[in-house]
Amino acid sequence: GSGGGNDAGQQSATVLKVAFNQNATHPQAVAITELSEKLKEATDGAYELELFPDEQLGSQAETLELVQSGAVDMAIVAGPLLEAFNPDFSVLNLPYIYDSPEHQMSVLNDPEITGDLYDSLTESEQISVIGAYHGGVRNVYTTDGPVETPADLAGQKIRVISSDTNVSMVGLMGGVGTPMPQGDVYTAIQSGVLNGAENNELIFADLGHSEIAAFYSYTKHLMIPDYLVANPAVLEAFSEDQRADLESLFTESVDSELASFDAKVTEAKKKAEDSGATFHEADVDAFREAVAPLLEEKISNDVTTAIFDKIEAAR
Amino acid sequence: MTDALTVATMLIGGMVILLAIGAPISISVALPSAISMVYVLGFEDGALASAQRMFNGVNSFALLAIPFFILAGVIMNNGGIAIRLINLAKVLVGRTPAPLVQTGVLASMLFGAVSGSAVATAAAVGSTTAPIQAKQGYDPAFSAAANVAAAPSGLLIPPSNTLIIYALASGGTSVGALFLAGYVPGILWGLTCMTVVYFYARRHPELKAERWTRPREALIIFLQALPALSLIVVVIGGIVSGFFTPTEGSAVAVVYALLLSFIYRSIKVKDLPGILMNAARTSSVVIFLIGVSTIMSFVMSFTRIPALLADSLFGWTDSKVVVLLIMMIVLLIIGIPLDATPAILIFTPIFLPIAVSYGVDPVHFGIMMVFNLSIAVISPPSAPVLFVGAQVANVDIAPVVAKLLPFMGVLVILLLIITFVPELSLWLPRLLGFL
Amino acid sequence: MTKLKQAVDSVLRALCIVLFAILVLLVCWQIFTRLVLNDPSVWSEEASRYTFIWLSLIGISVATGERADVAIDLLVKKLPVAAQRWVTAVAYLSAISFATVFMVYGGYLNAKLSWNQANPVLPVTQGVLYLAVPVAGVLLTFYLCYHFVRIVLAKEDATAPEEMQVEL
Ligand code: NA
Ligand code: NA
Repeated sequence: GSGGGNDAGQQSATVLKVAFNQNATHPQAVAITELSEKLKEATDGAYELELFPDEQLGSQAETLELVQSGAVDMAIVAGPLLEAFNPDFSVLNLPYIYDSPEHQMSVLNDPEITGDLYDSLTESEQISVIGAYHGGVRNVYTTDGPVETPADLAGQKIRVISSDTNVSMVGLMGGVGTPMPQGDVYTAIQSGVLNGAENNELIFADLGHSEIAAFYSYTKHLMIPDYLVANPAVLEAFSEDQRADLESLFTESVDSELASFDAKVTEAKKKAEDSGATFHEADVDAFREAVAPLLEEKISNDVTTAIFDKIEAAR
Repeated sequence: MTDALTVATMLIGGMVILLAIGAPISISVALPSAISMVYVLGFEDGALASAQRMFNGVNSFALLAIPFFILAGVIMNNGGIAIRLINLAKVLVGRTPAPLVQTGVLASMLFGAVSGSAVATAAAVGSTTAPIQAKQGYDPAFSAAANVAAAPSGLLIPPSNTLIIYALASGGTSVGALFLAGYVPGILWGLTCMTVVYFYARRHPELKAERWTRPREALIIFLQALPALSLIVVVIGGIVSGFFTPTEGSAVAVVYALLLSFIYRSIKVKDLPGILMNAARTSSVVIFLIGVSTIMSFVMSFTRIPALLADSLFGWTDSKVVVLLIMMIVLLIIGIPLDATPAILIFTPIFLPIAVSYGVDPVHFGIMMVFNLSIAVISPPSAPVLFVGAQVANVDIAPVVAKLLPFMGVLVILLLIITFVPELSLWLPRLLGFL
Repeated sequence: MTKLKQAVDSVLRALCIVLFAILVLLVCWQIFTRLVLNDPSVWSEEASRYTFIWLSLIGISVATGERADVAIDLLVKKLPVAAQRWVTAVAYLSAISFATVFMVYGGYLNAKLSWNQANPVLPVTQGVLYLAVPVAGVLLTFYLCYHFVRIVLAKEDATAPEEMQVEL
């Protein structure tokens, strides 16, 4: 069989399979490819990463399970998926808890703040969280005009990811949160079944939503992290030095991913503007106040409160 | 030997042996795939990952449209809808030579436009038209062949379960766009069959045209068929205009077909459990096949077989025309032993990325592939539509196959045209803003 | 044995019919809440997907019990009757090995792995939902063994009658 990465001390290269759901030009895919090259060099060829983009190994939820079982070595998965194993992870996916992408990355990759939370999945769930990548800032876009205040969203059906938290969030922001699979959103907006959706600029431009819901308003309500996770046995096979290399190289890749994500956003905005979209500022404070009850409800125990306080302190 | 070669050998060898000894098609796909999983992942991981893929491979809201369209089809088969569409077809083409065969072909297109399945079409139309055709002196083998040849037009004319399976296999191509793209090729498929029938009829002057239906009578027949035809407007219209998703549209189709059947008084409430069980049985066989096929596509991705295959099939050429021709030929050949469903699930992940790299639109590619494999469902030995068509006409398969060959020849030529004239597929979805 | 099979048959058929009816209602409810109530349902999509999977996996068991799963038996039919029996017995053993090793055991491992994993909207864990595969594995094994024994003992034909097979 192919290398599973379980043979410590083996001289030939161990190729770790990394599952990813988007295409190979996505900033996170580029980051993994760079990380692989640097890791190979640092470990004298002992380790490299092989990326499987485009859901080749399944959806994020499936590949997460394959990582748990050890069938796949690593995967990049969206934050909400980890809530299923430890509900405390939800604190990291709440609206308006990060100031900026830089703030988000610094707190999520600070072991002081998230170390215990990440470690909670290692033993019981066979998931090692290596760290978090930035996955964009989500904003609201609509068909009928810019959204400046919560009142502007009144009665508007906004597509959200299927989860109670997201439905309540859009509800508090003034709209009607409407779960729907991404593939159906375009025609639903076109026909008026939806009045808009919420997502980052990349999705807005790439899926052509910019043509039919042209008003993109910077509500800046969500930054959902994507985690690089591994099967614990994979990491245990690393020597101490190799482990240190992986960690420092990962930190480097977080920074370069952040930079290239930013470049992609600029590109996407240009593309969207060319197809007639316009970008608008929104009253972020008003929206932040509006969703406050959700934060109060979700930050309900000692663990989440402590993490939230540390995130606040790092602003 | 690399993993890719070993696994490819196990998959092909295992599948051929199991199919030959008469194992179910699903098991012939499942067992070699699962054993390959164990080979690359070890016993426990391989077993676990196989079970997981089987479950998650069908864990898709889009796939729910399949049981619903099958259920709607079963209801329509029981609900007197087929006979109304056949009567309408007879009014429309009754003046042509060999009118009863032309009626069957047109009725197949109409029935295909309200049901998602080619087999349901062949059964519904064939069982009604064959006895009348035989009584009026038509050659039963030729009539059956025309019925069989026309039935797959319903795989292209929406709704279509096969296009839904392609949407899944291609990683989320818009079902709405695919449905719209299927109209022109599907209608051309039907017209092609009518052309073959026309030339056949010219050599058989005894198959005289019928009289025109009197206007009043024609109006009545049209009004009787109208509720069934309006299913197209409600379901496809609702999907295309975005009022509901394709899956929701399929549920609307069920409710609508049920209402119609109650209005036509052709179904009683006590018939419903039997109808539900019939549809559940058929759809489960399809869904199980889809589930186990995803084990195969996973193990192929995992060992990078698509890259290997693409390299050996297409590595020597840079020509888009040559690449598409090779794909066409491979699909035509693979369609001989395989049914459309596993063929789509296995070959979409291999061929689509290559086709896209040559600038082929995924929607156009889906139509090409489904058109290609629609020829497979009528080519023996694995030809479900052919079997049903011969069975309902009460004739042997061999003479039907002989009469089917001219249809298949012309359809292959049409396939070439569909492949190299993308506008035939893409015009309608573009017109309605889907692309 | 035949009595037991008939009892299992009728229970599973009833289950299929009920699950299918629920499935239609769930999706209709989803359209209704969005287009009419203007308060889109969050859970109906998730619930309908899992109902669909359970329906399909129980349905394939029933179809196998009726010998309705699709196979190509052109070659087998060319063999002498005694040989047909043995070849078909091997085909059944292949199916039984898939059902036991991969569906029952693999499915059990998969359910165990996700036993505590919460579903984002439904009140059951992911592991419970995953039980569909091992449960169907057990049912399939039962039906496959039933036919395997009867074919070997020449109590039924090696190849299934054509009209039994489902039309794809
Ligand atoms: Na159709
Ligand atoms: Na065939």
